[in-house]
Amino acid sequence: MTTFTLTPRWLARRPNARYMGLVLLVLLLLFAWLTPWLFPADPARQNLLHTLATPSLSEPLGTDHLGRSQLARLASAIRLSIGLALLSVLSAAIPGVLLGVAAGWRGDWLDRGLGLVADCVLAMPGLLLVFMLAAMAPGQFWSLYVGIALVLWVEYFRVVRAATRSLVTSPQLQASRLLGFGKVYLFRRHLWPELAPSVLTLAAFGAANAVLAVAALGFVSIGLRPPTAELGLMMTELLPYYQEAPWVLLQPIAAVFLLVLSFQLLAGRDPR
Amino acid sequence: MTSLHVDRLSVSANDQVLVAPFSFSLQAGQCLTLLGETGAGKSLLAQAIMGTLPAGLTAQGQITLDGEDLMALTLPRRRAIWGRRLILLPQEPWHALDPLMTAERQIQETYRHAAGHDTERAVRYARQDLVSLGLDTAGARLPGELSGGMAQRVAFAAARAAGGKMVIADEPTKGLDSARRDDVVAMLKQTLAEGGTLLTITHDVEVARQLGGRIMILRNGDCIEAGPADQVLQQPISEYGRRLVAAEPSRWAPRRQYSRPDAPPVIEATQLSKARGGRTLFSEISLSIAPGEIVGISGPSGCGKSTLGDLLLGLSRPDRGQVRRAPGVAARRFQKLYQDPPAAFAPHWTLDTLLKDLIRQHRLDATRIPPLMDRLGLANVLLDRYPSDVSGGELQRFALLRALLLDPVMLFADEPTSRLDPITQQETMALLIELARERECAVMLVSHDEALIRHSCDRCLSLGNAEPHRPVPSTASSLPA
Repeated sequence: MTTFTLTPRWLARRPNARYMGLVLLVLLLLFAWLTPWLFPADPARQNLLHTLATPSLSEPLGTDHLGRSQLARLASAIRLSIGLALLSVLSAAIPGVLLGVAAGWRGDWLDRGLGLVADCVLAMPGLLLVFMLAAMAPGQFWSLYVGIALVLWVEYFRVVRAATRSLVTSPQLQASRLLGFGKVYLFRRHLWPELAPSVLTLAAFGAANAVLAVAALGFVSIGLRPPTAELGLMMTELLPYYQEAPWVLLQPIAAVFLLVLSFQLLAGRDPR
Repeated sequence: MTSLHVDRLSVSANDQVLVAPFSFSLQAGQCLTLLGETGAGKSLLAQAIMGTLPAGLTAQGQITLDGEDLMALTLPRRRAIWGRRLILLPQEPWHALDPLMTAERQIQETYRHAAGHDTERAVRYARQDLVSLGLDTAGARLPGELSGGMAQRVAFAAARAAGGKMVIADEPTKGLDSARRDDVVAMLKQTLAEGGTLLTITHDVEVARQLGGRIMILRNGDCIEAGPADQVLQQPISEYGRRLVAAEPSRWAPRRQYSRPDAPPVIEATQLSKARGGRTLFSEISLSIAPGEIVGISGPSGCGKSTLGDLLLGLSRPDRGQVRRAPGVAARRFQKLYQDPPAAFAPHWTLDTLLKDLIRQHRLDATRIPPLMDRLGLANVLLDRYPSDVSGGELQRFALLRALLLDPVMLFADEPTSRLDPITQQETMALLIELARERECAVMLVSHDEALIRHSCDRCLSLGNAEPHRPVPSTASSLPA
């Protein structure tokens, strides 16, 4: 008895990468939202007698250069990053998908017009746009979020437009239209099931990019202002102390790494 | 000399036998045709012989090519045989060809890399092949610019360029009209004449008849009849074989005459013209269809048959001319049946969900469904399945059910049975005609099968060949005996 297969099974199916990403994200969420309950501490409260303390029972992750609780700061920074990431993903995905469907469906001038806008946004360096907005409203939460969403929507738009364009002329859509179904139905039954896998993958990648962008802006001191606990900002603040207290500096770095990893794993699409 | 012996070959998945043990042997110049309905396991046999079974399926038994036991070879060794000794001519060649490479380059590639000739020779041989297949002008074109028949010939030239003599053709005529089909059959016979060996898999009885040689009829993975082509096709022994042969459209019972009531037409078109991509598809077509009338539309592929349907259904606009529907009839009572049933359903929902959507949308009476399903021979269990898990024939009947729920006055059937096997085709056509007559629903039947149109339509409209619109009255007397 002989078995012939063209692809080894382990290559054809990566086991549970998505599941691992989900577990990691849930753990991070639990850490970020449960810490204030279990260890209530003000992330901004300084204690100059206990700077750069090593982890102990009362301060499980040690303290930073101003004696602030590193645990409370890290949890607060992760909450901020995840919140901002989800918010900007949602506000990029919803208009991106809707405009993509509209352009792919109507075609013609609407498609050309929206395509032109999308190309213009793409031609602009994304980070620069965020810089610009951040410079216009320094230290404001909304400027970061609007800037990131403005850069991200184009991806959804392009993917959705291309998929919609081929689906609109397909027999399945034509058949449903002849049967008298309206546009909302066509979107729900025909378009969304086809679009959902790519949109969700894009959303996961987009969330990872948003986390990185916020941290990068914080690192070059353009984003949010101290004393806000933000991962990039924490790295900048702690960088001068890397020799005395490397473990403190490593914490925000590890947090960014784990956040991005969890989103990337979630985005890993099962090969069909 | 080429020889292929297959001894007790079977294919199974997880201990479930999909193709029962199966034996045959073929010598150079011989030809064997496996005939059977879709899902009979024909393609699995071809894949088992090639060694390309999908993961999870296993082949057992013995396959000997020129005295060498193929089952004992490792995959890389088996790959080395592909093209050089064993050729597979795939289904639907435009999927098998590289869409971004010109026809000539694809043939050259095999000469260059599989047969190991130098570039200069590869170019020369590829040219010769194109000329000998009558494709002189097609060399520089991309597969998307070739017709189905041309693409099939290019795929064939590319497949055999490495010198393989044992040819396996898997549904080589699928989706081709009868003229193209005859071309492909002639091409296959040519390889036989050149000393090749041919194993053809098809559901088209006509292909089997033209190829001659021996025939095996498969059903549900079992071989139920085997013998020389003449004998099997003239006097099939098995009950299934008899049905299969009788299901050929040219042998259908002559249609009953339909007395056309002098009712006002359901749809009328005057002086329709349409061009696409700078080419005139048809011009100045006028037609008028009475309730319950069945009108055939024939013509070579690409002559605008489907486009005419789109115009009549209001899916696109004519360049010139006018379409008038019977006044006071809702637009949804003009329906369409599609060539590829799975493509006409939303794939991510069960049939039950889709039917319920339709009922809700138009506030229909749900109690009409069970009797209609009975009538169409659809079992209730099918409702819980997805469109892809239902056979093509069943799905086409579901499409018919969906249309009938809206009480159609006209049904545009675009090659509704061309992807179904002969028996299913016969059943589906019989149901379609019966229900259309009963409900006085006009049917426009597009088909490239002239026999099918002759046996099911009241009259026929030929498109293409620059011929003006000319309704051809067909009579039962024009049947071949």
